[in-house]
Amino acid sequence: MPGSIGPVSVVWVVLVYLLFCSRLLGVGAAPICTNAQAGCHALSLANLFDRVIQHSARMHGISNDLHSEFYFLPSKNQIGRVSRNCHTSNIFTPNGKENAQRMAREELTEVILKLLVAWRDPLWHFQQSIAHHHDFNNFSTNKALEMSDMVHELRKGVEKVAEKMQMMGIISNSVSSLASPEALLPSDSAEWRLMKDYDLLYCFRRDSNKVQNYLKILKCRIVPEHGC
Amino acid sequence: MMWRDLRLAVLVLLCAAVKSNSELKGSSPPGKPVLLSCRSPEKETFTCWWQPGSDGGLPTTYKLYYERERLEGVHECPDYRSAGSNSCFFNKSHTSIWVDYYLTVVASNALGNATSDVFKMDVMQIMKPNVPENVTLLVVETEDSPYLNIRWEHPRNTDTESGWVTIKYELRVKQENNNKWKAYMSGTQTHFSLYSITPGVVYTVQVRCRLDHGSWSDWTNSTHAKVPNHVQNEISFWILVATLSAIPFMAAMCILVVKRENVKQCVLPPVPGPKIRGVDFHLLMSGQYEDTTNTLIINQNFPLMVGWKNQMEEYLIVTENGIGPPLDASNCQKRKKSLIIPAGFCSDWEIECKSTHIQNDCAGGTKNETGNFPKNNKSLSGESLSNAEPSKLQKQQSLGQNLMNTEATEPSPLNQENDVKLFTNSDYVDIRKHVEKTQEVNVKQVDYSRVEEVNGDNVLILNNKNLPFNSYMDFQRQEEKLSEDYSRVKEVDSNNVVVLQRQDVSADTKTPHATGAHKMGVCTELINSGYVDTIPASPLM
Repeated sequence: MPGSIGPVSVVWVVLVYLLFCSRLLGVGAAPICTNAQAGCHALSLANLFDRVIQHSARMHGISNDLHSEFYFLPSKNQIGRVSRNCHTSNIFTPNGKENAQRMAREELTEVILKLLVAWRDPLWHFQQSIAHHHDFNNFSTNKALEMSDMVHELRKGVEKVAEKMQMMGIISNSVSSLASPEALLPSDSAEWRLMKDYDLLYCFRRDSNKVQNYLKILKCRIVPEHGC
Repeated sequence: MMWRDLRLAVLVLLCAAVKSNSELKGSSPPGKPVLLSCRSPEKETFTCWWQPGSDGGLPTTYKLYYERERLEGVHECPDYRSAGSNSCFFNKSHTSIWVDYYLTVVASNALGNATSDVFKMDVMQIMKPNVPENVTLLVVETEDSPYLNIRWEHPRNTDTESGWVTIKYELRVKQENNNKWKAYMSGTQTHFSLYSITPGVVYTVQVRCRLDHGSWSDWTNSTHAKVPNHVQNEISFWILVATLSAIPFMAAMCILVVKRENVKQCVLPPVPGPKIRGVDFHLLMSGQYEDTTNTLIINQNFPLMVGWKNQMEEYLIVTENGIGPPLDASNCQKRKKSLIIPAGFCSDWEIECKSTHIQNDCAGGTKNETGNFPKNNKSLSGESLSNAEPSKLQKQQSLGQNLMNTEATEPSPLNQENDVKLFTNSDYVDIRKHVEKTQEVNVKQVDYSRVEEVNGDNVLILNNKNLPFNSYMDFQRQEEKLSEDYSRVKEVDSNNVVVLQRQDVSADTKTPHATGAHKMGVCTELINSGYVDTIPASPLM
């Protein structure tokens, strides 16, 4: 008997080691793929799209709430030709369904990414100014903070989707935003600093809606099986 | 005259007409129209409505002009007709989302124009879909419980396939009697299941929807459905169950009633009474208790409680040592009940006599005692006595018979002279003879002296006349011949001596004879023997 214990214990040790190793290597079950990992097939594209779309829907909801809270005057009855210029106006975005459908996937993806990148800094500053203003309650401040975080996360998510699409060959590698996000920023990026807070919220509400819609169109074009 | 009046009237009328006419024409520029609302049902087109002001009495035209963000110039409404009067319809090519529109309506007539306020809008904000269509209500009947299945379709012109719009639905349900609606969110599904519905109730359903974060549509028209009533099915089912189960129940009851005796015996078994082994209860009840007494009292040392009988009976007492058993009247009285002593319990003669004694002595019931005698006689006959004469045996038998005879005839008052003797182990038969009512007793005497009287415990007054063997003792006769045949007792000297008197020959006509010698002889004999004995000693000893 004692003679057989030796090899048996060795076998056990080896088995345990293999088990741990497989866990560490993350075979099969890693939920989040880190950047530039080629062999990551954790989530399906449809799943990714769903997550991203949900995220953008929530972001738009928050911006809607903040906009209606921020100003007591409803925007409908605003008198005068007050044309506001959102700092993202120079980004060419399709303004209708057919336009959006006609646009190439890569272009659409790029537009989404551009928008998201463009709003990262303004929202952060907005949240800072609201926190210092004391005119707003904690609820609004929390929403502003959440909104700025969501933009950041949504951008990452869309980048993931784009990567996956590129990997799957759905889109070509011409999406430039992935390589250098700062290239997406408009040249005169200081425009947004001139905007008043209300206009900023108004513009962002619009843009978040654009992002949500574009993502939905992309999804229903690429993976139309679930919920289109 | 008439003509002048008539012209005047006509003139007045004309003036009035002209005046009024000028007032109606008003010639005023039109009033300011008001833009009411705009609406986009599917995020691809939109329509705007305005309300015209006063038209100033002149035909007024209304025109809508708009400016748009990122679009140069002022443009007019492309379509005034499609959406009805006082409306402007923007088709797809003229609709841009996420851009601001600035609308104005201009009313103009011959005299002037009127311009409405600027109305700013974004298509994203004016979305309100049409009502959902084809709402169907179905009652799905499953085994456990029915449920309501509600289905509908998306509004007609909305595009749900491209993902351009996301439609979310809401429905509300109410029961027939109730006025209260209950609302449910359906999300993006076009069907809904409602569980836990009440049978027999009519349900009403309405559905509405909205696009993205826009406004809710109107409610659809009500759709009704009635849930069938399941209670009746259940009632019939339970009636069937009850009927089927009643039949075996009735059968069981009938069987129980018919066989109630058996059931009673099974459910309530009779409690066994106490039993003594070897004793038959019924025999005991019927009175044949001879065996029972044998089994009951075997090997037990009872004090001999001899049942006593009618004390009328005579019995003879025979003792050896002269010390008879004490006559205890109290014992007699105590033993009222008769106790049957088996033959084998004591030795032979005593038993018989005992039983007879006891039965004689105590007053009381003598019912059961007649049966003793045949048995006693029987047992007597089967026994052997060492010292007894056959004559004695006969005497006993006759005595027994006599006793039986006497007993049957008279009740016996309690007499202290009728003693109960307790013998335990003596070998002799005690035969005691009582004199009181000895008239009826006929005793055969062989070689006996005639007893005149018994006085005291052991005193016998004897007659020394030799009586013939076969003669009966006739007491009545004896009394007459008292003086003739008997010696008189002169004196009694101590317990054992009787002194007889020489008798003078009296003037009795009867045969005189010299009785004195006889008497003396007897007396001498008596004295010598030491005790007075009814029987001459010689035959006994």
